[in-house]
Amino acid sequence: MSVVRIDLNRCIGCENCVNICPMDVFYFHETAHKSVLAYPENCQSCGQCYLNCKGHAIGMSNDTYGYPITAYRGVTTSPMNRMVVTEPGVLTELTKGKLP
Amino acid sequence: MNEKNRAPRTMELPRPEKVPCPYGETYQADVVVIGCGFAGLNAAVSAKESGQSVLVIDKGRPGYSGLSPWPSSFRWFDPERGDDEEAFKEAMKRGGDYMSNLRWYDCWLKESKGIYERLTDWGILAQYPKATEAGDFYEREDFAGYREMFDKFDRHKKWIEVLNRYEIPYLEHTMVTDLVTGADESDEKNGDGETPDTRKICGVMAFHVPSGQIITVSAKAVVMATGGGSYKPTGYPVGGDTFDGEYMAWELGLPITGKEFEDFHTTSSQAPGNVFLDNHWQYLENIWLCGGDVDPGSAAGYAAAKGKAMVLKRVNGSVNGLPVADGSEIQDVATANYTRRGGSKVYETDPEEIRSGKMSTPVAASTLAGAATGMCCHLTSGVFCGLEETNGETEIAGLYVAGDGIHATSPSGSAYPCGVGFTSCFTSIDGDHAGRAAAAYARKQKFIGLPEEEIQRKKEDILAPMKRESGFDPNWARDVLHSIMAPYWISVVKSEETLKAALVQVEYMRDHVIPKLQAGTSHDLRLCLEMKHKVLSAELKLRAGLERKESRGTTYREDYPCRDDENYLCYITQRKADDGGSSFDKVAVPDAWAGDRKEAYQTRYVYFFPGEPEKMGFEVPRSGWERKGERK
Repeated sequence: MSVVRIDLNRCIGCENCVNICPMDVFYFHETAHKSVLAYPENCQSCGQCYLNCKGHAIGMSNDTYGYPITAYRGVTTSPMNRMVVTEPGVLTELTKGKLP
Repeated sequence: MNEKNRAPRTMELPRPEKVPCPYGETYQADVVVIGCGFAGLNAAVSAKESGQSVLVIDKGRPGYSGLSPWPSSFRWFDPERGDDEEAFKEAMKRGGDYMSNLRWYDCWLKESKGIYERLTDWGILAQYPKATEAGDFYEREDFAGYREMFDKFDRHKKWIEVLNRYEIPYLEHTMVTDLVTGADESDEKNGDGETPDTRKICGVMAFHVPSGQIITVSAKAVVMATGGGSYKPTGYPVGGDTFDGEYMAWELGLPITGKEFEDFHTTSSQAPGNVFLDNHWQYLENIWLCGGDVDPGSAAGYAAAKGKAMVLKRVNGSVNGLPVADGSEIQDVATANYTRRGGSKVYETDPEEIRSGKMSTPVAASTLAGAATGMCCHLTSGVFCGLEETNGETEIAGLYVAGDGIHATSPSGSAYPCGVGFTSCFTSIDGDHAGRAAAAYARKQKFIGLPEEEIQRKKEDILAPMKRESGFDPNWARDVLHSIMAPYWISVVKSEETLKAALVQVEYMRDHVIPKLQAGTSHDLRLCLEMKHKVLSAELKLRAGLERKESRGTTYREDYPCRDDENYLCYITQRKADDGGSSFDKVAVPDAWAGDRKEAYQTRYVYFFPGEPEKMGFEVPRSGWERKGERK
């Protein structure tokens, strides 16, 4: 689970992701005036960058970096684990059992 | 090609090689507050209101880092609305397996309403329409749209607004690595000829993570509000909390307690690493107002219900395995609307009562234990300051601890029988006390400066991972440690052999991996230092688990399935011994907190572990390991 780049063209350089991220995942490219998704492996999937991204340039993916180890894990047949949150409505479709 | 038809650009730009540091290299403040969640913010404001200069240092941005961005609820005690202090105390005592700190419970009784008013004044508890009431945000899963509509109420940004309002400067994205102690020569001159107290706080060392610049701060007093930590790289949102404060306290020889207890939070089976999936609406919506939900008739049942939900659910999952997660367990909005958690019993009938209880728009149901491996927050765990204190005052002059996971003071005990919303309120009170006490201490002190030799030595220690020419990736070490500590036979169903086996692995990491961790950038340097802290925490956790040879609250020993009041109704503390290992001590729970020790075992405890009834010689309840007499 990690933040993913949806479209760098949409980044308006507001630096919200750089400032808000508690895990030092984002840096800022001064010349290009764009954020840099530098360390996605350290993303804790809190989604605060995604929620505060003014340009809607980033999303949340369940596919990146796999599942963390928990005390135990059951079998899952839900399509939820294919989720990539980008635009409104995507998660709803998945909770209803429809694959994109 | 117009903008609309252009292909998305997903290739990242290179990370800038050099990042400017917005801060200076040295600072001075009467009181330094490390970490700015609920505890840290309250500590900072209270110290400032007491007339001292304050500097806040946070590893991320205040309001967005640690655990404080995540509470769904806030609970306070209101006698004017008929709340019963004895009833809730009974639930705390029984549900916390008699480990609850009732001295601090009394503080919560007296002060929680005042803290509610303070946080309301700051805008943190502002109420606004939830997603299902505000339009079609829920149906469309339009998280960003909902955020934009209620942006002015966003509590996360209030942290910096409050710091600015009280003119408290802060360093963000800055990791404190060391507490510096020194000798005050005037103590010797003015005293009775005895050696001056060399264990007086004189400042902290830190580094700005993006740039790697080292920062030293001269201070008279320090409040550590650093939270606890987790070994988990992702998942429940504590990745930024990595036992930094616990490590610094250990290195100074302070006693640590409660490490044997375990986090009870759950995550979803569909996506266990996905915090966003589990928390989006409650992150976005207001903090729900709670309290007044326990009366004398329901206290024991309340405690039993919490114990079953938080303790036995984890244990049962380990013993029985898990059901298939097919998506059907995802809550629907209708179900959630009828589930009002933690709300006042008179909410429906008393028009003045505002404590509705938690009514968040639903998210995926959490079914899976181990959301935050290694975390002991919401439990009586952290630096042990004694049973008499109510200020977080440590054995080091000028050093105070406050908040969840770092100050072992929570009235929740060995489990969490308090219902939703207790911790956000309680840690605020804890922070307020520590801030005032630190300011009162600082007022009588003078700056003694940071010893130059020690600063140089500590600088070299901090930067050592960047100077290695070969070594190991801290992210790899993180995953290995997590693999050792997460499995249920370490974190849920413990035994002498499994804990000892894990300890061998962790000690190997301590001796052979941590000294070889390598940093290519200052980002990696943070990870290397955090790994050092996590490995120590794991070691302390396993040692504490081995030391408690009984089952109690969130620690279940398969080989000792019963409570053993005679030997273990106590806080087990450990501090750094001369050989670097743990020196253990036991501090008995006071009689007033321990309930009626003569009460029959079967009624004294409100739920039972696997193997416990058999060992104690009473009937095994049919419906699991529940309290006898409650099953239907």
